[in-house]
Formats: sequence, C-alpha cells, structure tokens
Amino acid sequence: MPMPSDERAIDRWVDRLPETRVFKFLASWILVPLWARLTPVKPLPGGPHPSFQRGDNVQCMMNLIMPLKDKSPVGRAQAALAIAQNKDAIFAGLNNVGTVHFARFVIVGDNICMFSVYDGDFTNYIRDFIATIGSVFNAVVELVEGGEAVIPCENNVEAFIQWVHERDLYQVPDTATDFLRDQEALNGDRAVSPVNDDLTLLPRKLVLQLRANANVSLGSGYRAYPGFSAAQVRERLGLGW
Amino acid sequence: MVDASVAKRLVEAIIGNLPAPVPGRRPVHTIGVGVKGEFVASDVARTYCIAEHFQGRPVPVSMRFSNGLGGLEQHDGWSDVRGMAVRFHLPDGTASDLIATTLGEFFVRNVDDFFEFAKVAKLEPYRRRHWLLKIADFLRLKVPPRNPYPNETESVDAGALRYADGHRFSQLGIFQVGLIGAPESYARASYHAVHTFWVTAPDGVRRPVRFSWQPVAGVRNIPPADVSHDQYLFEELKSRIKRWPARFMLMMTIGEEGDALDDPTKPWPGTRMRIAMGTLTLTEVPEDPEDQKAAGERISFNPCRLAPGIEASNDPILEARLGAYEVSREMRGGCPFRWRPDDANAK
Repeated sequence: MPMPSDERAIDRWVDRLPETRVFKFLASWILVPLWARLTPVKPLPGGPHPSFQRGDNVQCMMNLIMPLKDKSPVGRAQAALAIAQNKDAIFAGLNNVGTVHFARFVIVGDNICMFSVYDGDFTNYIRDFIATIGSVFNAVVELVEGGEAVIPCENNVEAFIQWVHERDLYQVPDTATDFLRDQEALNGDRAVSPVNDDLTLLPRKLVLQLRANANVSLGSGYRAYPGFSAAQVRERLGLGW
Repeated sequence: MVDASVAKRLVEAIIGNLPAPVPGRRPVHTIGVGVKGEFVASDVARTYCIAEHFQGRPVPVSMRFSNGLGGLEQHDGWSDVRGMAVRFHLPDGTASDLIATTLGEFFVRNVDDFFEFAKVAKLEPYRRRHWLLKIADFLRLKVPPRNPYPNETESVDAGALRYADGHRFSQLGIFQVGLIGAPESYARASYHAVHTFWVTAPDGVRRPVRFSWQPVAGVRNIPPADVSHDQYLFEELKSRIKRWPARFMLMMTIGEEGDALDDPTKPWPGTRMRIAMGTLTLTEVPEDPEDQKAAGERISFNPCRLAPGIEASNDPILEARLGAYEVSREMRGGCPFRWRPDDANAK
C-alpha cells in the first residue's frame, strides 16, 4: 500500500528554486562572488597530469585558448590568414616531427584556439615545433594578447614554452573526486584517511574552480585506439615514415 | 585467502544492515532475472587470452541481471546499483564466471575497510529534508540530499556519506552510487567487473586487465525526477529480447605498471589500451518458472570461478568475495558447481 506523500506545495516550490531565473541571477552575481571571497580557490594548471606511464604519454591533449588583440572580424580574418598562408609550413613541420596525431586551429569568438593530440613530453613537443615551424608560431602569436613578449619564439624558447603552458587549459579529470584531489594537491594536501572532508561541498568547489579556470577541457577525452603512438599507428597501417 | 570465519563475518555484516533478510535468497541483489544467451569472441581475443571462451567458438551463457538492494521489495525505478552476472558454459562441463555491476569502482580497499564501513553506513530513517534547510544548502551552493522515493523510509546514504567524508579512497565509489540512477533497461547500462584479473596469452605473456560490458544499444537512464516507474525492468527485458536480440560488447582494458592492480577503489585512466574481446547476445528470458530458476536463481556465481587462462589478482576484496559468495551460497542452499573437471569433492 503506497504511503501518503509528505510533499507540500512549499517543498515543490523549493525543489524548483535553483532552476528559476531569480535564483540563477542571485547565484551568479552574489553567491558565487561571496563564496569566492570566503573560500578562495587558486587556478589549476593546464595540460595533461604528469605521469610516467606509457599510456599517459601518448595521445596527450593540448588545448590552447589565445585571445586575439583585434577583437573584430578583421582581427579574426587576420588570424585565419596567418594559418592559411602557412599551410605548407604547418604540414611539413607536423610530418617531420612525427609525434602529432591531430592538430587544429579554431577561431571561437575573439580567440584563436589550437587543439592537438601528440605523443611525449609537452616541453619537447613545443621545442620540436619551435625548431620546425617557429615562423608559424610567430605569425599567430603576434596577433594574440601578450604575444609580443615571447616572439620570435626561436630566441625566447623557455619563455615561449611557459607562455604556451599558461594558456593550455586545465584538464578536468574524468571523475569528480579526482578533481577534488587536484584542488587538494595544489594546496599541498595529500592526505587519504582519516580526513574531515565534506563531499556535499563538491558543487561549490566545482563552481568556484570554474570561476578561477573559466576555460577547461572536460575529461581525458575519448580515444578510439588508446595507448598507441602516431609512429605505431603509421607503422601498423603501412603508411610509411 | 580470506579464512572462512572472516567470510562469514562479511556476510553477517551485510545481512545485519538489511531491513528484512530473506531466507533462501541472496542477501543483496535479491531481485533478479535469469537470461540465456551466447558469447562469441572477437578475432583478436584469442591472441590475448587462452581461456576457452575467447577462442572464437560460440559459447552458451547464463546470466542474471539484478537490482543491488537487498530484500523482496522490487524498486526498479530507485537509484540503485545493478548487477550482471555471467556464466560462460565451457565445452568440458566447467564454467567461467564474470560478475559485474554498474558501479565502476568499489568503495573500500580491503576487508578491514569494509567492516568499518558496515559499522558507519547503517540503515537510518530517511526523511525529506526540511525546505528551510534546502534553501540554506542552495545559499551555500550545496546540493541537498535527494527526496525519499515513495515508501522509502530508511537508507544507508547518510552513513555512507559520513564514511566517505572520512576516507578519500571511498569517495569515488560512494559518489558514483549517489549519481547512478535507474536504467531504462538492464540492456542499456554498462557493467564493470571492477577487479583486476590476469590473462595469459598463447605466448605466455600475462597482462593485468579489467573487464566491462558495454551495451550495443547504448546507456540510458530514466529521468531522475520520474518516480512513477517501480517495476518495469523484467517485462522490459522480455519484450526487448522478443523484438530483437540485445547485445553487449566485452571490453578488456589492459593495465600498465603503476596502475592500481590490487585496489578496487582506484579507476584506471582512459588512456589505457582496450580490446574488444567479443559480443554477448541475449536470446531468451525463460518464462517457465523452473527454467527461470535454473537460468538465474539457482546458479551460484563466484567472481573467482575462472577458466584456465584467467586468474584473480591479489585484490583483497576479490579474495574476500571468493569466500563470502560461498558462505552466502551455503546459507541459501544454492547449487555448488564443479570448479575444475578434476575436483573430486564437487558434484
């Protein structure tokens, strides 16, 4: 026999409250800034999580978001032209380095973005490309806010690598709890048990983190053939080197 | 190997936290349905594992889908872990079992953790949170506990959360249980065997692996706010299989050095190689009650009943399950089964 429900009209109203425009406005403009002041979070660093394991060092993801200096259609056209004019250089560079599975330049709003999947260490990856397509990097980065400080990249290798790293998106882990571990690690907290956490705070922690890291890559990404390098794929498919 | 007294205590700890244990039935995953089917290995499976069912010949299968909760009340629409226990019937009369659930990671690392969890995560009265407290949660950017389901008066959720707050290794498993939901169909959920196993290839190479079943029809849950569904999964599966066969792919992820081989609370990264080991086709939900019992209720699955070529890892929970499942089988009068053709003590 079903028990009579204890749900009242006020319960239904409160349950719907977070979906209302009023509450969303309150949350965005008052609650989030307030909690960001009371419980500040530091921005989390971008790029893949460091790992010595082989599978984690192939098909690594880079997600660069670079705001354009000229935030107009003309500025975006200049960025598109910088890529189009260097197509041969880009392809030659990618073929010669041989560690890139995919690379794309994308304009989103007033940003020029570069998304790539590569094998190996991040700093070596950027170093290899400075050596082979440094001129393309210079052409693109010249159009980006703050870019003049690190070009020509061939003469500012370390600074350029650091600059790119700062614009590589934080990769939110596949699991919500691993995201908590990232926050804790940034604060030097590596305790496992016993601890005194409050898992019900996870939504707030996520919201505040996404305030500190406004652009993020969600999850480790889907891979059809994880664990294989570009070189292995080419070898097994008989594509030559 | 966990000794018999510990295995018994494990089962008693589980039973002690049930509202009304049912004699003769499984203490948890009590509600379930037996299904018959067939497994055919992929053309690469035999290169990774010498086990008989991976050699490519079709292998008949008995499986049991289940709801995780204990007791005879069937609540398909409640957020709950689901089980998929599969027995591969091998040509020599033995079998290999693969027991999986919709929970990808476990919430304790070993038996001691489990006993502590059982002490903390007790059944407690579960009521709707007062609306004033919910508003306070929203103002603190917290999500309040879910509303109780119709007729739900007790839950272990609060105790499990207290345990998770004190032990970070448990947080992923407990968090996932909280979000798991109710599947639209048993055939539209992914099931994970959680533990690491070792598989031996024809060249003798041993690899640590984890298995998952992925539904060919895709994963789909019912909307969380829909509390009108309560008993639908059995009929849904019967009508689904009558229209067309339901299928699962068996995915095997290969671990690397440094991965957690003996810790079921830790996931492996998505960057690990995964192999499609074969396809399972569900062909029939037996309607005759005796056939249904034979297909599901009478079978005593065990996660350590493994064909040659597959071995259990040193995962302490997997070791504990070997004994706990046998204790549970004896308590409910389940059928023993020959572990190996030369097991003189088995029937």
